[in-house]
Amino acid sequence: MAQAEIPYQEDMALHHPHSWVTKYWFSQDHKVIAVQYGITAMSVGLVALVLSWIMRMQIGFPGAFDWITPELYYQSITMHGMIMVIYLLTAFLLGSFGNYLVPLMLGARDMVFPFVNMISYHVYFLSVIILMASYVVPGGPTGAGWTLYPPQAILTGTPGADWGILTMLLSLAVFIVAFTMGGLNYITTILQARTRGMTLMRMPLSIWGILMATVLGLLAFPALFVSAVMMILDQLIGTSFFMPSVVSLGQHLDYSGGSPLLFQHLFWFFGHPEVYIVALPAFGVVSDLLSVHSRKNIFGYRMMVWAIVAIGVLSFVVWAHHMYVSGMHPYFGFFFATTTLVIAVPTAIKVYNWTITLWRANIRLTVPMLFAIAFVITFVVGGLTGLFLGNVIVDVPLSDTYFVVAHFHMVMGVAPILVIFGAIYHWYPKITGRMLNDTLGQWHFWVTFIGTYVIYYPMHYLGFVGVPRRYYENEIGGASAFYPESAALLNETITIAALIVGAFQFMFVYNLVVSYFRGKPAGDNPWGATSLEWRTPQTPPIHGNWGDKLPTVHRWAYDFSVPGAKEDFIPQDVPHDDDHGANRT
Amino acid sequence: MAGATGGHAAIIQDWSSDITVFKGVPWGKAMMWIFLLSDTFIFTCFLTGYMTVRMTTAQPWPSPSDVFALEAFGYPVPLLLIAIMTMILITSSGTMAMAVNMGYQKRKKEAIILILVTAAFGASFVGMQVFEWSKLILEEGIRPWENSMGAPQFGAVFFMVTGFHGLHVSAGVVYLLFIAWLIHKGRYDNTNFEIIEILGLYWHFVDLVWVFIFAFFYLW
Amino acid sequence: MAAEEGQQHPIKLYILIWVLLFVFSGFSYATDFMDAGYLRWFLILLFMMLKAGFIVAIFMHLMWERYALIYALLLPPLALLVLVGAMAMESDYTWLTRIVFFGAEPYPDPCPPVTHGLPEGCEPPPGLGPPAVSH
Repeated sequence: MAQAEIPYQEDMALHHPHSWVTKYWFSQDHKVIAVQYGITAMSVGLVALVLSWIMRMQIGFPGAFDWITPELYYQSITMHGMIMVIYLLTAFLLGSFGNYLVPLMLGARDMVFPFVNMISYHVYFLSVIILMASYVVPGGPTGAGWTLYPPQAILTGTPGADWGILTMLLSLAVFIVAFTMGGLNYITTILQARTRGMTLMRMPLSIWGILMATVLGLLAFPALFVSAVMMILDQLIGTSFFMPSVVSLGQHLDYSGGSPLLFQHLFWFFGHPEVYIVALPAFGVVSDLLSVHSRKNIFGYRMMVWAIVAIGVLSFVVWAHHMYVSGMHPYFGFFFATTTLVIAVPTAIKVYNWTITLWRANIRLTVPMLFAIAFVITFVVGGLTGLFLGNVIVDVPLSDTYFVVAHFHMVMGVAPILVIFGAIYHWYPKITGRMLNDTLGQWHFWVTFIGTYVIYYPMHYLGFVGVPRRYYENEIGGASAFYPESAALLNETITIAALIVGAFQFMFVYNLVVSYFRGKPAGDNPWGATSLEWRTPQTPPIHGNWGDKLPTVHRWAYDFSVPGAKEDFIPQDVPHDDDHGANRT
Repeated sequence: MAGATGGHAAIIQDWSSDITVFKGVPWGKAMMWIFLLSDTFIFTCFLTGYMTVRMTTAQPWPSPSDVFALEAFGYPVPLLLIAIMTMILITSSGTMAMAVNMGYQKRKKEAIILILVTAAFGASFVGMQVFEWSKLILEEGIRPWENSMGAPQFGAVFFMVTGFHGLHVSAGVVYLLFIAWLIHKGRYDNTNFEIIEILGLYWHFVDLVWVFIFAFFYLW
Repeated sequence: MAAEEGQQHPIKLYILIWVLLFVFSGFSYATDFMDAGYLRWFLILLFMMLKAGFIVAIFMHLMWERYALIYALLLPPLALLVLVGAMAMESDYTWLTRIVFFGAEPYPDPCPPVTHGLPEGCEPPPGLGPPAVSH
């Protein structure tokens, strides 16, 4: 670099709030927006949690609760799935962590366009309102399953086929607008507004995960947007994009010539990258958690970065492995099975590197660390079953059974949620200045972790014996139709475990609220972490984050336990001639 | 006419530097480019959907060159209106490029006039589209859900794709007018007028999409 | 840095490209009078890519940007080629199954409802044909 560039962020004009409304509601501060995203996503996530109770009660004790009608059951599974994947996981990992961490970890004052960032949250909020409006429109929310496959999604007989599906699709389209506004901000900030010395290869892995996930989001959400528009047209004005000639309830409908497979392709062209939109930020964050709490640099940083990039690229060429039984072109199976197995390679590299990071490390079993380790274990379990399902011949009998449910809940449901929990325990001290209660945290962890296995391990078995997914009733005339009676016992066990684990999440919310007022003061850097967000002049950071001058970065984010150094960590902004006697790049 | 600045060797240099990856690219321009990339995916997905329904339909697909023919001097000229619309959009792209150039020369008045001319061309494009739609709906009897000439998807795809493009053009006209007003107000006097280039990126993109729609929808 | 001065290029070049765009649009339009076939498809795509290339390279100034930006913008759409290619294969297969399993009339049939004049002895299919031209 011949001439030094001036970070434009240094004298960026910030819109300082004057009233309560502009400070906490229409705020342009990325940290406030992050908390807004977090609270909204968590609230809507609790709704989805309660919905999962409803469906578990029906599956575990069929007939015992007569208020759970088939309609309510199908509406619950649909809303549970969609809320968890889009409105909780995507919004939390990118909307909340992305907003909070990107400027702080990069040494920026704010996102490049704070106003757009503010609008992004409010549009997201609007999409949540539209989604929840499903419950007040005639017919209630859609019961088509979170994949919303036509033709059934818009045919009479499916719950919410008149209004519920429209509010769902509209809400998704609005969400995509919100995500686009936020995502453009994250990418531009990461690529164009880092501080001095912060090269891409010095960024914490959290930022790499968020960057790649945002790129995937901006390129994959368009497919969902397009399919939502086309399905709205099919439902509303009777076009036949996805609707073939159908005889429904004895009536020949006016549709003809549409292609339901087209929807599935578009949906999964979005849907598979979506899995990595959720997974990649989790990968990144967990790398940082593991490194900080084991006081050791992350093993193979460069390999971790390239693995993230490779997963991102490959995620666009694997989508049809969700469609092996759909009746698509028979040659596709081979191609997509191959690419699916190839994507396991960079993923496995990451798992090995996490494990080797822990090898002979000074591990501190703090609550965030427990969640991080639990993530690695859970992700391995869920990932391995993915190898089964990625092979056509194994997938065909397992398709649409509880094996699939177990697989994706392990790998992209529970695993990222564990990271979210770990990350909240990790960064809560920075956000509020107070620590979360440790005892409650330990309880929360152990119940969630063990409960997860009680819930999802038996589901693999249920899948093998052929229990189908999404059925309202698995018994005919009081007797199991297709599988041993032991399955019913397992289902009861799972339901009870799910109720207990779910209840403990409310305890976590209690912890969040109480610790905000009564938690013990955290200080600037309770975990001894190196990345920039722990180096702000104030805790919690004020609007604008840094003092007069942005920090200058001299090293990567993983200088832990450097031999000869006074402390066991060297923050990123400590220059080399002042690094406690150690020489590291 | 120099090639890309920096050459290939600069790729690694740029990506491994601090502060910015895209050297000399203002935030707004980077953001607009990335947005257009995302928008490219939206339009390609629309066109992929169109390709799929057209290739899978077992019913005849009406010939666009006849459906969109207009009578001139007593003869039906295929795609006459479409050809005129194409020319208008290209013309507007040219005036937009000039506006960007004037902006960088700090010739504010010329820039504003050229932006307004661009907006006028854009508005006339939308006007012709309205004419085209109404002719199709009222005279030819084509509806999104049915089509007396064959595959019902013909109308559906046509209204959806051109409608979505038309929305982009309309939004572009509003954007052009808004920025012209801001420039007139002196909002950008202390800048290099990159805003006009950002505006131009969007407008050229709309033209670019039309190139693909013209080839795939009207000429196929 | 040169780029920070903004993208300034001779107006002559813009006019040249402008004229070329008109010319290529004219050629594109002219393909509509050709008979269907691979040559016509080739020409349609050729002129399309030429026009798109000129707009992106010159009007949007991409050719004067640094390669870091050029590649960041031109590589991701490759994912779309996979989608388009896969969907083209898939559509052929769907069409085949419709013919085989649902007995749909294969199309184009011996009397294609094409554009400029039907083959000798063919009646236009019901409801299809050139729009009525009044004389």
